[in-house]
Amino acid sequence: MSFELLQPDSLPGALKALAQHGDEAKVLAGGTAIVLMLQQKLIAPTVLVSVGRIPDLAYIRSEPDGIHVGPLTTLRDMERSLVIQTHFPLLAQASGEVGNIRVRNQATLGGNLAEADYASDPPTALLALGTQVTATSLRGERTIPLEDFLIGFYTTDLEPDELITDVFIPASAPGSRTTYLKYRSRSSEDRPCACVAAIAAFEAETCTDLRVAVGAASEVPQRLPAVENLARGQALTDELIGEIAAGYADNIDTLEDIRGSAWYRTQMIRIHVVRALEELRNGRR
Amino acid sequence: MAVGKSVPMLDSVARVTGTVPYPSNLKLPDMLVGKIFRSRVPHAHVMKLDVSAAERLPGVVAIVTAADFAGDDKPNLHFGSPIQDQPIVAGDRIRYIGEPLALIAAESAAVADQAMDLIELEYEELSAVFDAEQAMLPGAPILHEASPDNIVRHSKLRRGDIDAGFAAADEIVEEVFSSPMAQQASLETHVATARWKEGKLTVWTGSQSPYTVRRVLGAIFDLDLENVRVIVPPLGGGFGGKGNVRIQPMAAALAWKVGNRPVKLMMTRAEEFVTVTKHAAKIMIKSGVKFDGTFTAREVSIYWNGGAYASSSAHLVPAGMLRAIGPYRIPAVHVDSYGIYTNLPIAAAYRGAMSSQGVFAHESHMDTIAHLLGIDPLELRTKNLLRTDDLFATGERLHDIHFVECLEAAAYGLGWHEPLQSDNGTIKKRGRGLAVMMKNTIANSYSECRIELDAEGRVTLFVSTVEMGQGGHTALAQIAAEALGVPIEVLAVTGPDTAETPPDAQTASSRSTHMMGNAVLDGAASLRQQLAEAAAPILEWSPDDLSVADGYVFVTTQPQARIPYTEVLGRNNIDALTATGKYSTNEGKLDPDTGQGISTPDWHQGAGACEVEVDTQTGKVTVLRYHSASFAGRVVNPTLAGLQNDGNVIFGMGASLLEEVAIDGGQITNPNLSDYMLPSFLDTPVELKNVSLEEEGSSFQGIGEMTLPPVAPAIANAIYDAVGARIRDLPLTAEKVLRGIQGRTDHER
Repeated sequence: MSFELLQPDSLPGALKALAQHGDEAKVLAGGTAIVLMLQQKLIAPTVLVSVGRIPDLAYIRSEPDGIHVGPLTTLRDMERSLVIQTHFPLLAQASGEVGNIRVRNQATLGGNLAEADYASDPPTALLALGTQVTATSLRGERTIPLEDFLIGFYTTDLEPDELITDVFIPASAPGSRTTYLKYRSRSSEDRPCACVAAIAAFEAETCTDLRVAVGAASEVPQRLPAVENLARGQALTDELIGEIAAGYADNIDTLEDIRGSAWYRTQMIRIHVVRALEELRNGRR
Repeated sequence: MAVGKSVPMLDSVARVTGTVPYPSNLKLPDMLVGKIFRSRVPHAHVMKLDVSAAERLPGVVAIVTAADFAGDDKPNLHFGSPIQDQPIVAGDRIRYIGEPLALIAAESAAVADQAMDLIELEYEELSAVFDAEQAMLPGAPILHEASPDNIVRHSKLRRGDIDAGFAAADEIVEEVFSSPMAQQASLETHVATARWKEGKLTVWTGSQSPYTVRRVLGAIFDLDLENVRVIVPPLGGGFGGKGNVRIQPMAAALAWKVGNRPVKLMMTRAEEFVTVTKHAAKIMIKSGVKFDGTFTAREVSIYWNGGAYASSSAHLVPAGMLRAIGPYRIPAVHVDSYGIYTNLPIAAAYRGAMSSQGVFAHESHMDTIAHLLGIDPLELRTKNLLRTDDLFATGERLHDIHFVECLEAAAYGLGWHEPLQSDNGTIKKRGRGLAVMMKNTIANSYSECRIELDAEGRVTLFVSTVEMGQGGHTALAQIAAEALGVPIEVLAVTGPDTAETPPDAQTASSRSTHMMGNAVLDGAASLRQQLAEAAAPILEWSPDDLSVADGYVFVTTQPQARIPYTEVLGRNNIDALTATGKYSTNEGKLDPDTGQGISTPDWHQGAGACEVEVDTQTGKVTVLRYHSASFAGRVVNPTLAGLQNDGNVIFGMGASLLEEVAIDGGQITNPNLSDYMLPSFLDTPVELKNVSLEEEGSSFQGIGEMTLPPVAPAIANAIYDAVGARIRDLPLTAEKVLRGIQGRTDHER
């Protein structure tokens, strides 16, 4: 393990370093993932660009249309944020499910998204929330919807010279109900075998909007708008819930790992989408 | 009375303040870092191993390869007992992924890592075999030319007329069970620091067997044993994995080549997984029974995957044979126990050694039979459980047997016959299960201690019992304090240090409290005799008329005529009195063809009963309540005994529900504690209770493992009770349970 550690103290400095070193460089934020990858020799960058000295990248800022979260905000800060707990309880919950408190005190939102670990909790919640990621390079800035940002197994749409500089989570409709279900097939401190983040808005018994993201079961977390739309304008009957759950189970290409086979994950998607939607229908906010 | 009291562990303050001097914390002046260059293929001929470039790297002090052992005046490359098939570093042949090929001593870990990249290895791959049964087939790759059938050891037990037994049966039930490779997962990994000085070798190491390490190092380096010193500070866990010689020869070889500086070798977590594992096992068990639940015959075949070298498998395979039969009255028993070489890391003892695999099989099998016959599982067992004076399958007559009491304590504690609380058959179903175990201990075994009483009344106990978190030293101090009639506060325990503390076979198989405890009693009796003799001239009575207790020597018939121990020493100008205590057992000679004879001085006995909840949609099992019981004879420290029982249950839940070393082409793919899953405290049963059974007049019995082997079958039986799915393959994962519920075993989507 030999690399050069750069510690720029400004955003332009960091972007310059990334532009200069391109594929040879990796970004170091909290280090909870990248240090393990280095130790296990899964990656061998020649340059590590630490972003820890760049000011003003850790924030949770509330605006009328949603919240902006800085990429260096720790998962622990998200878990404890009153704003997030109030407006996006499922995100507070998903952030609080990661690893253990020591990991959450160190791991950052930007690092979490850039790693694109299929078995991590926050991306699934963020996907359900319609999150947008802003990436910046010397070439400029672009905003990418999370579903386009997460493109594969540990793979994102980020270019080697780009850094995540903002994460925007749009406000949900007032009165929305949300849930995050994490299914662990092994110990109580394991990562998820499958997880479901769901948000629904209702007018009386009628569901006016439904968003469901399923994670940890496939290479990237998935939303299926066509299936979600089955709920629009409908009451969430057992039958409709079963249909939506089957839609997710049947249309997600599940993977196999030590936490369960592809077949098992398909079953778990169906079961947990049902459980999540029942919870929303039955009124838990 | 110090015995029977829950005194805190002697080093409890150090434990909670983080100052226990674990061997991994050892730092010596001028110490070098040792690192191991390992194979990345499972089976190969080594064509070339060139370390010259690595040797030239600044900061590299020495590199050891098999070439360093070539020549009559050099150390021996191979070790192992009784089969010396394991090289310290592989020479012309690689036999598993992760096998050491070269050892590096360097000024820093970073330099050693760089040196690793400069080592050139050329090899020709050979076909490899990873499955034990496949390794026995004709034409399978051969690991050791001396064992063309890849069998390390085949042990046999033959009792009664097996054919007549099966012919007399109303039902014959045959099942196959399997347990995966697992890892002992001590929090502290294997560590050894070695130093040579003036032809003498000193090794500080985390080992459960200091005297074995000394003997093996003496043989490797052709040293008189007094020139080998092995010091064992408190271990951060052993669980059987440190019961044999593992990395100590490598540390010693590095320090030998370096010459004048100590070298520390410590395994990373990933290396731990290729250093030692638990035997994967496949067990075929077949029983003949009458409709009334009487057994007529049992046949068991066991295939232990021993990995690439014999190591302790040669001893463990016969032990595993005895432990897979079950504590039942069965007139005809045939067992074949095979230890088999494969291209995998070495397998060895794992807490509840060679029992968990067999107990999972015979206790799941008992429930299958109980359900077939329509007999309550508790009743079927109590009807057939062995009692004192019964003959076991070895033909030996049993003594001090308490299987029924153990099982009933666990079952009634749980409320076996009380109605199950249920949620009326919706998603979550509850069920109960129970299991019992019997385990022989190490026979032909020896323990010795030295006890010193000084003129200030302080007592030091010198023992080679290893303190590995179990509280062994505390228990021995309690036994010594009571036997000498002194308060526990004056006791200090020191060791193991082979230069200071007398020999002991090993700290394993739950033997220390029993074996060393009896040695301490022997030593204390001798010390009391010395006190009486020293006090006799002062009191002007014959030593035979004196008693020694509660800190005084006194005239038996006139207890007021007494003098304290300190005064006995002081008035005789004695600095200290010293006594040696010994205890040994001789049993353990079984006929190699029939397995008949006396196998063990004592039987370990334990049981468990639990209530689980199964989510029928996910297959996820939650152990809600668990009651365990072990036979302790006489409890030395109730708190520590209870922690052993409960700790076993939590430890056992790991192997039952979670733990499995994943292997792909001989490569371990989950060598870390994120992917290799251990139980969390959040997984422990809401109700976790235990009983240590005592008996008037009984001696101290080992309790370090007894409640562990029943855990997996108790849970498996409870799952069956809840949802009707019989899982015969550990661990009992949610997916296997769901497949069982759905009646599918295929892997289709």
